[in-house]
Amino acid sequence: MSRYLTPSKIALLALISLYTDSFIPSAATIPILSFIVSYLLPIDSCQDITSQSNFSLTLPIDSLRQSTIGHPSSIPGRTVWDLLLNYLWKINSFDALHLFFDDISLLLEKSYEGQDAQELNASRPRRTLLSRSSPLGAFVRRSQVEFTRLQFHDGITLWKGFIAYRSPTIASWRRRHPGVSASIDVNLQEEPIAPEKLVRNVVYGDFDSLSLKDANISTADVENLLEFQVDQMQKMGNRLPTEFKAQIQSIIHTGVTVPSLLHYVEFLDAWRAGDYLTSFDSLHRYFDYTMHHKDRTFYQYALLNLAILQADFGCLSEAVVAMKEAISTARENNDMGCLNYSLSWLYHFGKEHPKEMAEIQRKGVLGTEREALAFLKAKAKESNMWSLLSTTLLSEARLSLSDGENVTLAFENITKASHLNIVKDVVNATGSQMAMQSSLFSRLGVSYQATLYQDMFVECYAGQSPAEDVMRCTCKSSMMLALNGRYEDALARMEDVGQEALRTLKHYHYWAASLGLLKLQNHLHRDHLIAADQVLSQLRASQQLESDVSFTMSTLEIDLHLRRCDYSTAMDLLENLVTGMDDGETDILQRVKIMILKAQIYDKSGIAQKGFSVALRAASLAHKAKILPALWEAIGAISRVLISMKEFEAAVRLMESIMPQVLECENCNLAAQSFSHLADALMGLAGDANAESLQRKERLTKALEQIDRSFDEFSRIEDVRGQCEMMAKRATIMHLNGDPVLANDCAAKYLDIRKAAKELN
Amino acid sequence: MAGVSKEKADTIRGQLQDAVVQCSERCLYQSAKWAAEMALSLPEFDDSDSGSPMEDVDSQTVPRPSSISSNPDPEEARKEAKEFPLYLLAKSYFDCREFDRCAAVFLPTALPRGSPSELSPNRKTSASPETLKGKGKDPAPVEGSVLPPPNTLPDLSQKSLFLALYAKYMSGEKRKGEESETILGPADGGSIVNKELVGLSRSLEGWLADRQAKGLGHTNQGWLEYLYGIVLARGKTEDAAKIWLLASVRRYPYNWGAWLELGALFGKLEELRNFQPELPQDIMANVFLLHESQTLYQTDNTTHKALTQLQSIFPRSHFLKTERALLYYHANDHQEAESIFSALLHEDPHRLDSFADYSNLLFVMEARPRLAFLAQSATATDKFRPETCCVVGNYYAMKSEHEKAAIYFRRALTLDRNFLAAWILLGHEYVEMKNTHAAIESYRRAVDVNRKDYRAWYGLGQTYEVLEMHLYALFYYQRAASLRPYDPKMWHAVGKCFDKTDRPLHSIKAYQRALGAGTYYDSGSSFGSGASHEPPSGGLNPEILYQIALMHEKLRDVDEAASYMELTMAQEYGPGGDNESSGDEQRGPGTGATITTSEARRWLAKWEFGRGNLSRSMELANEMCQDGFEVEEAKALIRDLKARTEAHKPFG
Repeated sequence: MSRYLTPSKIALLALISLYTDSFIPSAATIPILSFIVSYLLPIDSCQDITSQSNFSLTLPIDSLRQSTIGHPSSIPGRTVWDLLLNYLWKINSFDALHLFFDDISLLLEKSYEGQDAQELNASRPRRTLLSRSSPLGAFVRRSQVEFTRLQFHDGITLWKGFIAYRSPTIASWRRRHPGVSASIDVNLQEEPIAPEKLVRNVVYGDFDSLSLKDANISTADVENLLEFQVDQMQKMGNRLPTEFKAQIQSIIHTGVTVPSLLHYVEFLDAWRAGDYLTSFDSLHRYFDYTMHHKDRTFYQYALLNLAILQADFGCLSEAVVAMKEAISTARENNDMGCLNYSLSWLYHFGKEHPKEMAEIQRKGVLGTEREALAFLKAKAKESNMWSLLSTTLLSEARLSLSDGENVTLAFENITKASHLNIVKDVVNATGSQMAMQSSLFSRLGVSYQATLYQDMFVECYAGQSPAEDVMRCTCKSSMMLALNGRYEDALARMEDVGQEALRTLKHYHYWAASLGLLKLQNHLHRDHLIAADQVLSQLRASQQLESDVSFTMSTLEIDLHLRRCDYSTAMDLLENLVTGMDDGETDILQRVKIMILKAQIYDKSGIAQKGFSVALRAASLAHKAKILPALWEAIGAISRVLISMKEFEAAVRLMESIMPQVLECENCNLAAQSFSHLADALMGLAGDANAESLQRKERLTKALEQIDRSFDEFSRIEDVRGQCEMMAKRATIMHLNGDPVLANDCAAKYLDIRKAAKELN
Repeated sequence: MAGVSKEKADTIRGQLQDAVVQCSERCLYQSAKWAAEMALSLPEFDDSDSGSPMEDVDSQTVPRPSSISSNPDPEEARKEAKEFPLYLLAKSYFDCREFDRCAAVFLPTALPRGSPSELSPNRKTSASPETLKGKGKDPAPVEGSVLPPPNTLPDLSQKSLFLALYAKYMSGEKRKGEESETILGPADGGSIVNKELVGLSRSLEGWLADRQAKGLGHTNQGWLEYLYGIVLARGKTEDAAKIWLLASVRRYPYNWGAWLELGALFGKLEELRNFQPELPQDIMANVFLLHESQTLYQTDNTTHKALTQLQSIFPRSHFLKTERALLYYHANDHQEAESIFSALLHEDPHRLDSFADYSNLLFVMEARPRLAFLAQSATATDKFRPETCCVVGNYYAMKSEHEKAAIYFRRALTLDRNFLAAWILLGHEYVEMKNTHAAIESYRRAVDVNRKDYRAWYGLGQTYEVLEMHLYALFYYQRAASLRPYDPKMWHAVGKCFDKTDRPLHSIKAYQRALGAGTYYDSGSSFGSGASHEPPSGGLNPEILYQIALMHEKLRDVDEAASYMELTMAQEYGPGGDNESSGDEQRGPGTGATITTSEARRWLAKWEFGRGNLSRSMELANEMCQDGFEVEEAKALIRDLKARTEAHKPFG
């Protein structure tokens, strides 16, 4: 495998030289130039190319033909393709190839020493000279240097490859030049036919063998390809596509020189696949092979990669050690980029695994969170790392949200990040910014806005964002759909997640956990407690769950026990959960949720008043942090307390005042519960009123209305228990109203629902 | 194919085929190859069908298996039969290039390297007919320095003995190569010698003397003599070496290696001529004489005739065709040489043997595409052969990529330190790269390998000239000129050096020889840049004429100088002298106006001016204006002349 030059590059050089000789008319200049440039610049810099289906790294002569045959040249009757063919067939011996490479330096502007440029221009007036630093000029210079560096026999390999490369065009060349005999080598023409075979066999004998195939692709091409692949994998966080894997294997097998980058690609792939041993091995191999010619400058990157790898596979303490070393090496080497990235990673790592950070905190590598963020912000700005700055701003917003601080501050930060993303074209940070926005809105109880952002992200930015972000967003949005009772849609959305993204183990875990949660919730609602238990145990089996997933899981588990009326176990679980998040670093949302749950458990176990202070605290916290859905829930809990204290009037006023906003949350469960609380309060009011009085009747009707609404909401989320409860209440009211037929109906309906649920079970 | 009868051809073929077997049994691969090629190039008389020649040969000489030769001498045959298993073992070790192990099969004890072993049972004091002297011998033998050392070798068949000793020799050569390290490195100064030579020389001397004493001299087969000759030649004992090699080829003429070794010992034509009567009168001697004539640049008709005669015996021999091509090449008939080489290339593209010479030829002819093609085909056959590297190096040299060329020449030398062409070409490259010391060393090594190549001598001269060491240069140019007495370039260089060392008389003589040589050859040099400005055929070189004139001026022989100047100027119009169209440069029989002739004209004009022959001076000055070389000076002269004539007018 040659280092850089391939037959197709010779053809490109010929095309460039046609261009500089003004054979390409102005109409064709732009298409031809963009064609050339698309093969010269790194792959990712021209993004439309990657989507082009017929793009090939090796540039087969057929695609060269297709893109040039349509353009007439400045010589009448000839297309650019004709001239190009002519040029290629003029290289009729190995010596001519040497001459060709000698001559291409004439395409360039002379450097200062070469004063004969004027003379040259005088001799070829129509010639455009290429600037030495232009993309074309750089390509020409690089090609020439590489050709000079070629050993003689490598040159011969290139030459043979070139012959093979242009050989399909012999027919069209002959058609254009009937008089000229086209032989592969001018030296073979003059001799009589019989002995020619002998020499030909010696010189071009191995013509059909496979060895020529490697001349078509060079190490530089492969490196280019691998770089692109690494870039994609790092940006998108996905694995190697299988067909690409096969292709690169076949390329690697033809040549001897394996670029060390291949090991890195293997490392990324194995890492994503969750193959700890292989990824570890590949990473070390990559750095062993790169170390010797790039010195120690890459050591910090090795450590950085190692730390991330360790963390991903759950070896947290090792990860911390490696990262500390990475940070100190980066400091030593003054590698700001690496340092900033490491610190940022460490910060996020600390958010995920606060326990492991004890030592780091003690040593004061990062200081407090705020200091860390401020430091990162300053550093990112200093070294123009816009994507880091944007992420840091988002982190700040997230931090202020989770601490329950001012929402406007969060908005400000998000807006800043958004501005940065747009102005500096940080495409791949846009996803996380929109996800952040969406979660902010869902905290504020504006579910519609939240879904809108999610949809927008998936619709517009999925292609350029890391696969993980896309997948998380999809999971979140399907969760929200599920809250609204649209299980089918939610499941369909989950299934929509591409197979490609799920080949990464980590993504798959998250996805599977989310799917499990969805199912768990569904089972709970449908009162399939055994199935729910099953799902729960499966979920518990997977070891690494993100904190939000595990929190949701715990709440659902508590819910399960509540539904089983096993209040003491539920309470125990809750207590465990509370001790787990003792350190005050947990998201305020989770703390509020726990408080509310506690109040609810008290309520269910009939000692609602015991939960009063908890509910009140939850309400005030949620109010302060503007977590509106939680606030409404907390208020619901308070109203339960009020009801239990027979303060029906207050409860009704409380509930009625929040109802519109509850509905806005698009959370069916919340709405159903709220309606049910309202109905209960109204019932209490009705009980206060005189029997048979109009007021009582009116209140009863109102209560019935609320019960119906609650029933509707419950049926939307298929909550059997809720439905039954509402039916029972309704039957009771009917009974009170002295309407036994209707009461009977309701009772029958109650039984039907029960039965249906059982049958489904 | 009328050159040789069927019977004679069959005899020669039989002998050559026997030689192939004999040589390969003794691991003399190159000689075996040569003999096999020659055997196959004999004409075919079997006209029944055109089956493969090998089959015919086998059917005619079928009685004995050709892989093992039989020995006509019963005593030797008995020994050989007895040693057969050991011999096979030794041979296979040799084939695996395990030389020491091979030698140890028959000679388990190391040969003496230092002092001779004192106690030897069969010490004889007989004098051998040839006087055995050599530097290879121990420098200070304590007693009996006239006596040959005793035979310390075991009683073995000559074949086994040869194989064992030859393996010793080869192992010594291998070590020598290893110790010399990199080409032109600190250790590669030619001071490293083959350490086995001393022991080999003494053993062989003892053995041969012993044979002689026992009266068995006539049963010697020639191989051990050959080896002894090589050892002596490597030890720079050339006269003795010649004698022993001669003895070898007399006993066994079909060993081409022996002939080559012998040939390498002749540095001059005269030596060869003197030696000629002693050679055996057979076909191999003829081939040898032809080859020697070729290497000594004898391109006259007798050589060609001898070659034609040989070719009638071996009509298909590539070796002889190469000789012919080289003869043409030496005679500067490039086209003819090229066509032969090209035909050879197409007949047998795998044959790299003469590629280095072919590439030199293409270099001189400036046939770059063909040279590239040659390099390509050589590389396709084997890219690690010194010949291939030379071809590639020549190609790069032609492209003026001297660093790359030097790399390839060095590679050639790493592959074979004795590859003469590469040393010379490497020298040329170092000259181009202005690395004179390395150039001198390279040329020196080339001369050490082969004294007969004038290019190395000339290169040395050139390099010293660059260093302005003219006395040195003169010596080397003289050596070159003695090798190529009919090359004007050599004499020109000699003349120039004489001039620089203030010996105008010698210089004039040298220049005159150059003039004479110039008319002898049709066109000029075959060396270095082919684009030298040669005078057209028939004329005299104006450059040389001008130099002669200047020499005469130095000797204050102004009239003589003037006449040479006139002669120089006359070259513009060629030998006919009546051609008026001087504008037609380089094309007509004359040279046209060149810088040299213009210079001559200026000199003449000034001289006439000094003599007071103003009208002639004016005429010349006007011509100078037309030459277009020194117009300013011509105009100044004309002004001067006009002033003078103006001044003279009133009185004249």
